[in-house]
Amino acid sequence: MTTATVAHDDHAHHGPPSGIKRWLFSTNHKDIGTMYLVFALIMLFLGGASAMVIRAELFMPGLQLVQPDLYNNLLTNHALIMIFGAVMPAAAGLANWMIPLMIGAPDMALPRMNNLSFWILPAAALMLILSFIVPFFPGGGSQINTGWTLYPPLSLQVGMSMDFLIFALHLLGISSVLASINIIVTIFNMRAPGLRMMQLPIFVWAWLVTAFLLVLVVPVLAAGITMLLFDRHFGTSFFIAAGGGDPVLFQHIFWFFGHPEVYILILPSLGVLASILPTFSRKPLFGHHSLIGAMIAIAALGMIVWAHHQYTVGMSLAAVQYFMLMTILISIPVGLIIFNYMMTMWRGAMTFETPMLFTVAIILMFSFGGLTGVMLAVVPADMQYHDSMFVVAHFHYVLLPGAVWGLFAGVFYWLPKWTGHMYDERLAKTFFWVHVVSFNITFFPQHFLGLAGMPRRIADYNIMFTEFNMISSVGAFFFGLSHLLFLYIIIKTVRGGEKAKARAWEHAEGLEWEVDSPPAHHTWTTPPKIKTA
Amino acid sequence: MAGRPNYPAELRRKNVRLALGVALIVVFMAITAIPFWKGLVALATGG
Ligand code: HEM
Ligand SMILES: [Cu+2]
Repeated sequence: MTTATVAHDDHAHHGPPSGIKRWLFSTNHKDIGTMYLVFALIMLFLGGASAMVIRAELFMPGLQLVQPDLYNNLLTNHALIMIFGAVMPAAAGLANWMIPLMIGAPDMALPRMNNLSFWILPAAALMLILSFIVPFFPGGGSQINTGWTLYPPLSLQVGMSMDFLIFALHLLGISSVLASINIIVTIFNMRAPGLRMMQLPIFVWAWLVTAFLLVLVVPVLAAGITMLLFDRHFGTSFFIAAGGGDPVLFQHIFWFFGHPEVYILILPSLGVLASILPTFSRKPLFGHHSLIGAMIAIAALGMIVWAHHQYTVGMSLAAVQYFMLMTILISIPVGLIIFNYMMTMWRGAMTFETPMLFTVAIILMFSFGGLTGVMLAVVPADMQYHDSMFVVAHFHYVLLPGAVWGLFAGVFYWLPKWTGHMYDERLAKTFFWVHVVSFNITFFPQHFLGLAGMPRRIADYNIMFTEFNMISSVGAFFFGLSHLLFLYIIIKTVRGGEKAKARAWEHAEGLEWEVDSPPAHHTWTTPPKIKTA
Repeated sequence: MAGRPNYPAELRRKNVRLALGVALIVVFMAITAIPFWKGLVALATGG
């Protein structure tokens, strides 16, 4: 911890520079946080649009709207845009906005690198979108049909769009690694004097753990897709059986990244809940230290369970047993987090403003997704469920409640801080109910479709699956539409509304509530005094 | 650059040092990926 008494450039007490320069050259954590969030919202709509086409095609058996190639292309695009374009940048946006405020730092540790981390993203998104549309140009080659997992040999046979995709993933990886380094350094070096690590809010800890996970696994994905690139163009055979390589090697590399990635997606959101729960339960958070321990345990275990995605490829019995046991073990720290959150609410004087509504829904439905995860972790059971719609239902139940809703909850919770206005509670609650109910209509039936044998990643299906697919698609259209309401609420709040106090929520605690709403362009230029317990 | 906080030189050095330290992890993970995985997969598949 260094006393960051910030000698400021002479342009005394300025606001932000005006116009496009403010954003292009920004080194300000709040502006960069805002850009991340706006970018994520745009990507959410793009990824959502492809999901709507997917569900429209699946409304009925037979091929109506899109041919199988395009279907697969859309599906790949949907997953990658949502994961890398929407959820990760939104979480990074929250980190940028909140971590310096929460730890009493004037800004991120490496402000110019922060600018770079963000501005790589639009370029990466462009590459990602190009990977989708290049095949429609003359000589553009075949469409991407691998899904987000990019397994060879299929990924070796796709045309140049795969190269665009690999390049996009490299850029996205660089962006998140740089952002993670920045977050780690900020948390270690920039805390207000006297603020000890163990006193940090759980959100900050969750991001610290996430940042370490990113730093550990993104380079491995980068290595994996580089090997793909070499196999595609430079005559190597890392993954080509005919050349002595092994396609299954790629699966191991991918999932060594891929499983920790799912924790990368949920940990920041689970951290958000730890801020929200005490505020609306009017009680201190239950088990601060054990939450930190649980998050570290999740991250550590999360790195050694990857092959539960590959039970069916023919691993040795010992390997399969190991991965099954380790995977089931993760439910212990996950359960502990859920337990602590419920204990925080226990006998609290609770009120249910929108962030809290989301929090309660998350605790219920994320746990449900966790339970289907344990089902999938059991090897003999997974032999049936693998590559079925059951898996699709599972990961949407963990990813929407676990990751996306936590981000929504955080946005509603901190929006008054960011904009200085209270959002429209009535509209926000309407959004919550439409969103959550239609989410369940969309994804709950998919469990049964999967159990009955409907495969995932397929554009057409047996007529016996028709009814549940229709229900799912109708749910999905309402689900998609609900996001327009979300957009409207955000725009409305940014433009005006009831003034928010510095402490926008009566019972909210944490340094972020000690600065004005909206905060000045620069905050904590003199670090806050930390009460020592 | 407009409004970038001027951190004390000592803090700046400390930040850069730690950032480079973390970057080492990144490089390590990337370059060890290939041999490490080859060996581990051989173990797991008995191949
Ligand atoms: C106790 C917790 C969990 C367990 C035991 C678990 C277990 C599993 C297993 C065994 C699979 C592979 C199923 C198959 O392909 O046959 C799977 C798939 C998946 N899980 Fe989980 N999971 C858990 C939590 C999560 C969380 C928290 C997330 C994300 C936030 C998540 C996201 C996914 C995704 C995205 C897939 C599908 C990947 C793909 O094949 O494209 N899971 N899970
Ligand atoms: Cu997994």
